[in-house]
Amino acid sequence: MAQIDLSRTSVREANEQIRKWGEEGEDVEVLNPDAKHHIGVGLVVPEDLSVTVKIQGSAGYFCGGLSDGARFEVERNVGWGLGDNIYNGTVIVGGNAGAIPGVAIRGAEIVIKGNMGSRAGQVMKAGTLCCLGNANFMAGYMMYGGRIIILGDSGERVGEDMTHGDIYVAGKVQSLGSDAVMGDIAGEELDSVREFLDRHEIAFTGSFQKVVNAGKRLRYATSERQMRSIPFMSFSGASDYWNPKVQEDVYIKSQIGRYRVRGYGGARELPHTPDLAFRTAIDPARIDPDVVSKVAMATEIGGLNGANPLTLSMPVMIAPMSYGALSASTKQAIGMASTLSGIAENTGEGGMSDAQRGAAKQLIFQMLGGRLGWNIHDMRRADGLEIYISQGAKPGFGGQLMAKKVTKELARIRGIPEGIDLRSPSRHPDILGADDLVIKVEELREATGYRLPVSVKLGAGRVRDDIKIATKDGFDFIELDGMQGSTGAGSAEVAEYVGIPTVAAIIEAIDALNEIGRRDDIQIVLMGGLRDGIDAVKALCLGADAVAFGTSTIVAGGCIACMQCHVGQCVTGIATQDPEHEQRYKPSLEAQNIHRFLESVRWQIAAITAALGHDDVRQLSRDDLVALTPEAAAVTRLPYEPERRDGSAGIAMTAG
Amino acid sequence: MCGIAGILYKHARDDQDTGKALIDMLDGCQHRGPDSTGFALYGEPEGDRTRLRFFVGEGAEARAAIDKIRDTLEQHQARIVEDETIGNNYRAVVDFHGDLQRLSYDLEHAAKVISIGRSLEIVKDVGGAHDVDDVYAVEGFNGTHGLGHVRLATESDVKPEAAHPFWATGFSDIAIVHNGQITNYWKMRRRLERRGFEFNTDNDSELIAVYLADKLSQGVALREALRTSIEDLDGTFSFLVSTKDEIGYAKDRLAAKPMIMVENDELIAIASEEVSLNRLFPGQALNTSEPPPGTYNTWSRRDLGAPQDMAAAG
Repeated sequence: MAQIDLSRTSVREANEQIRKWGEEGEDVEVLNPDAKHHIGVGLVVPEDLSVTVKIQGSAGYFCGGLSDGARFEVERNVGWGLGDNIYNGTVIVGGNAGAIPGVAIRGAEIVIKGNMGSRAGQVMKAGTLCCLGNANFMAGYMMYGGRIIILGDSGERVGEDMTHGDIYVAGKVQSLGSDAVMGDIAGEELDSVREFLDRHEIAFTGSFQKVVNAGKRLRYATSERQMRSIPFMSFSGASDYWNPKVQEDVYIKSQIGRYRVRGYGGARELPHTPDLAFRTAIDPARIDPDVVSKVAMATEIGGLNGANPLTLSMPVMIAPMSYGALSASTKQAIGMASTLSGIAENTGEGGMSDAQRGAAKQLIFQMLGGRLGWNIHDMRRADGLEIYISQGAKPGFGGQLMAKKVTKELARIRGIPEGIDLRSPSRHPDILGADDLVIKVEELREATGYRLPVSVKLGAGRVRDDIKIATKDGFDFIELDGMQGSTGAGSAEVAEYVGIPTVAAIIEAIDALNEIGRRDDIQIVLMGGLRDGIDAVKALCLGADAVAFGTSTIVAGGCIACMQCHVGQCVTGIATQDPEHEQRYKPSLEAQNIHRFLESVRWQIAAITAALGHDDVRQLSRDDLVALTPEAAAVTRLPYEPERRDGSAGIAMTAG
Repeated sequence: MCGIAGILYKHARDDQDTGKALIDMLDGCQHRGPDSTGFALYGEPEGDRTRLRFFVGEGAEARAAIDKIRDTLEQHQARIVEDETIGNNYRAVVDFHGDLQRLSYDLEHAAKVISIGRSLEIVKDVGGAHDVDDVYAVEGFNGTHGLGHVRLATESDVKPEAAHPFWATGFSDIAIVHNGQITNYWKMRRRLERRGFEFNTDNDSELIAVYLADKLSQGVALREALRTSIEDLDGTFSFLVSTKDEIGYAKDRLAAKPMIMVENDELIAIASEEVSLNRLFPGQALNTSEPPPGTYNTWSRRDLGAPQDMAAAG
């Protein structure tokens, strides 16, 4: 058995060594662990081998997290997040465990001989979490599957908002959580629990009570109806007191009796990029037809702290959109287009499909609070990792994926029961402040050998503070998403009225970085209603290092903007999981359409940059912009020049 | 956004290695807050003399500040018995028998007060536990109990006065350290300001110190003040409080912030992470416990180690 002494070796070096031994099937003894964090994170053992990691003492946060196939034996206690997201494997803890043991596990056997902390098994998908002592409050919080066996008392609110799975309690059930009930135990279930206890040599002969989901909150009482609606583009036009939009809203509420969930974003008039113009009049006739080759646009994102950066042929990315909200074919087409145009694609919430991974040369893998589809194997084949805190269209809220879209296949990837109205958790189990976030970022870096850039997606809200925290916590870049961003399904009120507009967000972000003198320590990718190359250049002038397009990408790929994304019956085959509907979507054809759109963006960026007198996009600055409205001038502190409202701000899209 | 630590030696001796114990505990969790480190240290009182500490800066700025402090002390008939400057601090021991709250507020207007008390001295500055020890010689401090804090500055700047622990301005010997965020800060602050309390920072942790001091000054027992704090404060918090002869904790109802403790006949130690507790007992298996959400507790040197039941709030 190999040995490693953490009083002499850093956790980072030790984990590299443990991963190497793991691939060879070599057992490891960890001496002097001293409750350090991240011990064994990212250990993946080949299927035909077995590896035991013996930790001689106590371990800190995320012990054995993001691992697959290993056995961990911890002599004493463990900190928060024991076995975070384990795919398969075994963890035995001799003492107590801190909060959220077994968080987000996808299949594992975890035995805690002492007591376990609060929120045990939060958002777990499969596997067994067994505690010989007492559980603290909210055991099984938001669990999606698997089982928890508690030989002591259950703790308060056991099974709080659980969706699926079983919680067996031998001691006292202190109180039941929301939507949890006592269930009957079948004979074979009990046999299976006994078999588990025997296998782990746990002598116990008492009886059990079982806590399960009551099923009252898995779906909205009434589902959204598909209806003939006005197209989004006319919908968003006028913003009067009463208009067809208000009428439609009232009509829908009269049908479903609650807030409306819909696709797309807010459509109120807010200061935005059309309220800004370029300071120099641009004469389309004088643009060099070969301008694309004469302006430096290649941009590296995410390499500031030593990770391998994303290499973009222009300062543009695809905004995060999930496989789930969108069909697999759509994600594949977007991936192909991103490769053709030399930019990066993003998985959004809900996991990575093989088709998407194959299609996109550069792919960012997004992690959300529900850890839906999040796992070590897809992390290892990603090109960047992203912690989602919130998004511009609905800051502070989780995603919504209606039952129609939660198909068997999608449920499998996300690790959840099929056919529920999935309301993703809006908060992370293990990120409850900036200090926790530091430790989480470190775990992701450990799990991927410090190779991948780690970014944070922020919906613009408390921008000034959030940007400072993100910089402080060592992220490589920030994806900052303003209020004009869209969503596949969100509450209409939130989309319209919650958030900070995109232009205001980037101004506040740059101000924040200047206040702490760290403008050069982090990169910002701006998104949220940015539509084309003109918007992209304006964003770069205001200080963004790159931009991301979501809605434009979808529209370029055939979306008719009917806002019925949430229903799951998308006629174009984009926002659906129904195979018959998806058949209508031709990935290679739409990939070409999206690619052509992206190339028009490239041409616009080059043409405007050159017309403003630069030969590199990094030369663009606030000096290149003016404000056309008093509101935009107030938000941006740019000079107010209403006389430029003559249209010289725009530029025709003449790219081929 | 930070790491916290507290230790109380239960038997009434003032020669425990409190300073060293807190340095070790904070060094263990420095990863939770590399920006600044602070200590609240309690020794036996010297008769009824009062110990004061101020941030005064350096050079001419320091001389001017010290002059203002001396003037203010004289106006309040506080006689300086001894004084010195250490790092960017001015430290004085005075004979004073007047209204401490009035003196504190006048001193606040003259200089940046760190702490005032008969037992308490707060030492805090930017840097890690060992950096602060190098300047202020914390390791040599022997006493009865104390608190410690490592800070990750997020919303506000990295400067010494934003570091923890916070003294409850105007109230002798009360200090707190906090990990978390109080979301009804302004509402609670305005409520206290209307009743004449003054705040020196916009840091939400200072609110906890003033809130508790207010309760204690009304004759409310520390345990009761901790109980009501869980009802009155919104947000996420794990905080520790110390008075001249006790320490206590309170934890929010979601237990969003970590806290772990170990207790034996000699001492009670509480920290954000077990790694800090291990530093006190190298190589030993610890039977640690995690306080449940929405709970509070206190330990007093007077109790000579008699354990008290964990109390649930609300």
